Amino acid sequence: MTFVSLTELPILSLILWLPLAGTLLCLLFRHSNFACRWLALLTTGAVLVLAICLFVGLPTAPGWLIREDYAWIPTFGIRYSLALDGISLLLVSLTAVLQVAAVLISWKQKEHPALFYALVLLLETGIIGVFLATDLILFYLFWELMLIPMLFLIGVWGHGNRVYAALKFFFFTLAGSLCMLLAIITLYLIHGEQSGIYSFALESLMQTQLSPGIEMLLYGGFLLAFVVKVPLFPFHTWLPDAHTEAPAAGSVDLAGLLLKTGIYGLIRFAFPLFPHAAQQSLPLLAVLALIGIFYAAWIAYVQTDVKRVVAYSSVAHMGFVILGLAAWNQLAWEGALLLMVNHGVTTGGLFILIAMLQDRTGSRDLRALGGMWKTLPFFSAFFLLFCLASLGLPGLSNFAGEILVLLGAFGRWPVFAALAAAGVIFSAAYMLRVVQGVLWGPLGQLCKIGDKDCLHEDLDRREWLLLIPLALLVVWLGIYPTTILEPLRGPISLLLQGGGLP
Amino acid sequence: MDSRLLLLLIILPLTGGVLNACFGCRLPRQMRALLAISSVLASFVLTLICWPLAADGGTQVTLFTWLKSSGLQADIGLFFDPLAASMTLMVTGVASLIHIYAAGYMEYEEDQARFFALLNLFVFAMLCILLADNLLLLFLGWEGVGFCSYGLIGFWYQKKENALAGRKAFIVTRIGDLFFTIALLWLFALLGTVNIAEINLRATELDPLLITPLVLLLLGGACGKSAQLPLMTWLPDAMAGPTPVSALIHAATMVTAGVYLLCRLFPLVSLSSVGMATIACIGAATALYAASCALEQREIKRVLAYSTMSQIGYMFMAVGVGSVAAAINHLLVHAFFKALLFMGAGALIHLAGGENDIFKMGGLKQKNPFLFWLFLIGILCLAGAPLTGGFFSKDAILLTAFSRGDGLSAILWGVGVFTAGLTSFYSFRLLYLVFFGDYRGDKSAHHLSPLLIWTLPLLALLGLFGGLINLPHFYGGSEMLSHWLGVAPALELPLPTEIGLLALMTLFFVAGWLPAHLFYRKYQPEAETPWRRFLLQGWRFDALYERVILQPYRFVANFCWIGGDKALIDGVIEGIGRTLLHWGGYFRQLATGQVSFYLQGFAWGLLLMLGWLLLKAVT
Amino acid sequence: MIVPFHHLLVLATLLFLLGLMAVLVRRNLIMILIGVEIMLNAAGLVLVGASALWQQIDGQVLVIFLMALTSAEVSISLAMVVYLNRRKKTVDVRAFDELRG
Repeated sequence: MTFVSLTELPILSLILWLPLAGTLLCLLFRHSNFACRWLALLTTGAVLVLAICLFVGLPTAPGWLIREDYAWIPTFGIRYSLALDGISLLLVSLTAVLQVAAVLISWKQKEHPALFYALVLLLETGIIGVFLATDLILFYLFWELMLIPMLFLIGVWGHGNRVYAALKFFFFTLAGSLCMLLAIITLYLIHGEQSGIYSFALESLMQTQLSPGIEMLLYGGFLLAFVVKVPLFPFHTWLPDAHTEAPAAGSVDLAGLLLKTGIYGLIRFAFPLFPHAAQQSLPLLAVLALIGIFYAAWIAYVQTDVKRVVAYSSVAHMGFVILGLAAWNQLAWEGALLLMVNHGVTTGGLFILIAMLQDRTGSRDLRALGGMWKTLPFFSAFFLLFCLASLGLPGLSNFAGEILVLLGAFGRWPVFAALAAAGVIFSAAYMLRVVQGVLWGPLGQLCKIGDKDCLHEDLDRREWLLLIPLALLVVWLGIYPTTILEPLRGPISLLLQGGGLP
Repeated sequence: MDSRLLLLLIILPLTGGVLNACFGCRLPRQMRALLAISSVLASFVLTLICWPLAADGGTQVTLFTWLKSSGLQADIGLFFDPLAASMTLMVTGVASLIHIYAAGYMEYEEDQARFFALLNLFVFAMLCILLADNLLLLFLGWEGVGFCSYGLIGFWYQKKENALAGRKAFIVTRIGDLFFTIALLWLFALLGTVNIAEINLRATELDPLLITPLVLLLLGGACGKSAQLPLMTWLPDAMAGPTPVSALIHAATMVTAGVYLLCRLFPLVSLSSVGMATIACIGAATALYAASCALEQREIKRVLAYSTMSQIGYMFMAVGVGSVAAAINHLLVHAFFKALLFMGAGALIHLAGGENDIFKMGGLKQKNPFLFWLFLIGILCLAGAPLTGGFFSKDAILLTAFSRGDGLSAILWGVGVFTAGLTSFYSFRLLYLVFFGDYRGDKSAHHLSPLLIWTLPLLALLGLFGGLINLPHFYGGSEMLSHWLGVAPALELPLPTEIGLLALMTLFFVAGWLPAHLFYRKYQPEAETPWRRFLLQGWRFDALYERVILQPYRFVANFCWIGGDKALIDGVIEGIGRTLLHWGGYFRQLATGQVSFYLQGFAWGLLLMLGWLLLKAVT
Repeated sequence: MIVPFHHLLVLATLLFLLGLMAVLVRRNLIMILIGVEIMLNAAGLVLVGASALWQQIDGQVLVIFLMALTSAEVSISLAMVVYLNRRKKTVDVRAFDELRG
């Protein structure tokens, strides 16, 4: 598919609303479990195909690659404007990949399957919308749209303590995003007074002249919304609960995508809108990120629930990403965004594997598991691979991002970068503890009831189909990250130049 | 010759490893081993073919760009120079022999595919370290060997200790890697490149004040990988792995990577005299420490592990006193005879029915005399018996230290000579306990595959005559290795001094051998003393680290979790929630569910508003 | 206009207050509904009066709408009363307080 034929279609709208159409169809066919799951798979698959077409077909240019812009509510200057550059393209592609995985991992969903798939698809619309919107109200709409399906996914289909986790997640993020809403409206009014044109468009709002105090205040509002989502220490405590209690698809989406929306919001909205305040906040961000790296790694080390370890590892990895952003140079930013994508793939893969493990053994407790290599060699091999990727083994995906972040950060904060490098040891400590607890040692005590001699079934065809592409992606991104770095280079250098936009 | 052939050097083992990892379980049994052996052997042959490429400053070749960003360019690129070539030849050669040996050793194991896949991947990663033209690729290999070592130490994963030993090795070496990473970051920040040749070339541009910390950081990395003080505790535990693994990874190749790193960056390292002195001191201290521990070890492989540590200490000392050639020479010779010793030990363990404890062996000479002679050669090399390879290489190091003439070097030399005596003692102790006397074990011998024996003679020859590689002029040699590596040949000492030193070395060798001969030729049970236990447990460093590092770590971790996350952050958040709930409880009572009550409120409100409007209208 | 507008306003206010009191004080659902009707009619009365006062047709139109709506509303609410009566066997409003906080 060529660039020309791509732009003739309203492809962004298509990619954005396709999942919503899937949602409605799912609800329509809610009586047929079969129809729903295939609908979900087809929809996410179609989005994936579109995303791949975009990824392959679009040139790597710094500016917007595709835009769609229509008047929506002219009275308030709200526009339906979507735009795609290298960064959003990458994140949309990541979303597309992980959503297919999320549907496949919940293939055997038994409770209310129609509603489940409908919510997963609705979530996809929300996430893609966040990555595409350039009108602040439209962005906010999608931002909140993500929240609701996730709330129900955790609250209805989650594990033991699900309602607590769901509410905690909801209130943390809502509190943050309401601050952002206030800031958006204030900014809108200030800009309207200054220029006489009332508009929520990102480009217009960026022109606003703000006094330092006001700028800091508004930036604070945005920052709060985004760092809660990232999450940055000390706003992270919702994440371990939410990740742990969420169903498999929910964990994959949370770790793989929702956290990324926070980072994306920072670099797309918070930094460009308030460049001076952003510069002033960098030391704070760096310190918090560094604390997060250590703090989360330490806590991860003493957890006994596998999912919780992975959840805390997400906090640590996001600390690396934020540290990279705080370094504010090309190298670190490329590393940060690369790490973000890599983290999505590896952590998504890990959550998928943990779900498979739980299906088979009924447990996620490190003390009870063990010796899985004996009974599930293929599963274990994948598990090892993703754990290694997560602890940053060179040649696998996370390393490339981490080392770029460290190299970039060392240029600006040498001591911080050196300390952050120590975080890598801790990540080895907790990840190997997981590997030890799950794969090695004598065979664990836990067996699913009715199994003879604890012989579990190794991967079935659907699971192979799910894991092989992710594993290939992990290796590919590890040895040839240029695939991702190329489209990122231009947009990043634009964003770094005083927060300029295409 | 096409320089791209060099790429095959690393691609071949990688392919073998990946094929075994992905499809090994579908392949017939012999195919797995065959695949692994042939890929490494092909690498070895290729090294020989490519040998001319190393001359004249070496050859550089790039496969593709791995990481590229503003100012950073890290390729999958190889640099084949004399130093790398000699190491590559040794690694692929020893690895080929050990692969063949392993095919015999692991004949009846399950999971052969995993074993050979990891072994092949190890060779790949090791070659990355040796051949990398930039520090990032070197780091890839550096971590890669760490992972393979982790997987192979814990190969028999169903015993928990094995897997734990693997984890310990990985994490302790990773502490060293941290220093290496910081050095890498710093070098990039200072020079804007990660290319090794360029770093070496531009090392003199650096601020002399910065070089010392940089060298110390690099030393930290080397210490982790090479099991030097204070990061040495993982190596003895690593002996939990299968014996071919110990021979390949924990004796011949991976543990010497630290020495190689320091040699590779020698132009940078040599700029800091403090750094060099520290390297030498750490080497000497480790040599002495490890030799003292080896005196009282009971497990055959642990004796060898401590001796490895000690010999690597010598290599560090050689780098520290400025002689790359001596270090590399000792590295190569040591690789040969230590691989021989480990492989022999593997065969001995089979002979003794899986028994590790040397006090339960004995009398194995009668069971397999040929193995005894091979093992004897290894022991002689290790002990530094005159005219063996080990003697020449060790002598060269000590001579260099002696010839420098300053006080520190004299102390180092003294420690080295004394350690040589200790080495001789524990080597012969091992030999006597294992081969002489009567068989003290109660297990019957396992079947000994011919592969376990017939891979050894070649190594024995190499060990025995390894001294010829760099034979000094004094003995009529021509210092081939020094010339090949392009470094300055050793200093010439006056003839009487040389002879005096030679005599002294021989004296210490005999002084080590004699007590061993007296005490251990006839087996007598030893009483356990606290002193012995102290040495057996490696000066109790493990317990120290447990108390000083691990326990506080766990405490802090638990504190962060319980105190930080749960009590503080969640406490504050949930406290806010509870306060709101509390107040909400009062307001809740207003909602009676009675419409008329609500309407009453509505009406009163209306009245108030009307009243207010009226008041305004009046005034 | 034969009746002065003031009188009409007073009457409407009285009616409205009567209706309001009925809604607030009575416990019988049907009485409450009657109260609501009375209030609506009070409002209608004012509309008619105002329409006559200013000679504008709008008020009367609105009242006709109001009557139509009122009848619809009454039919629905009475149906609901019947339903509620069937559920709890009472038309006492105090029985229906499920929304109590």
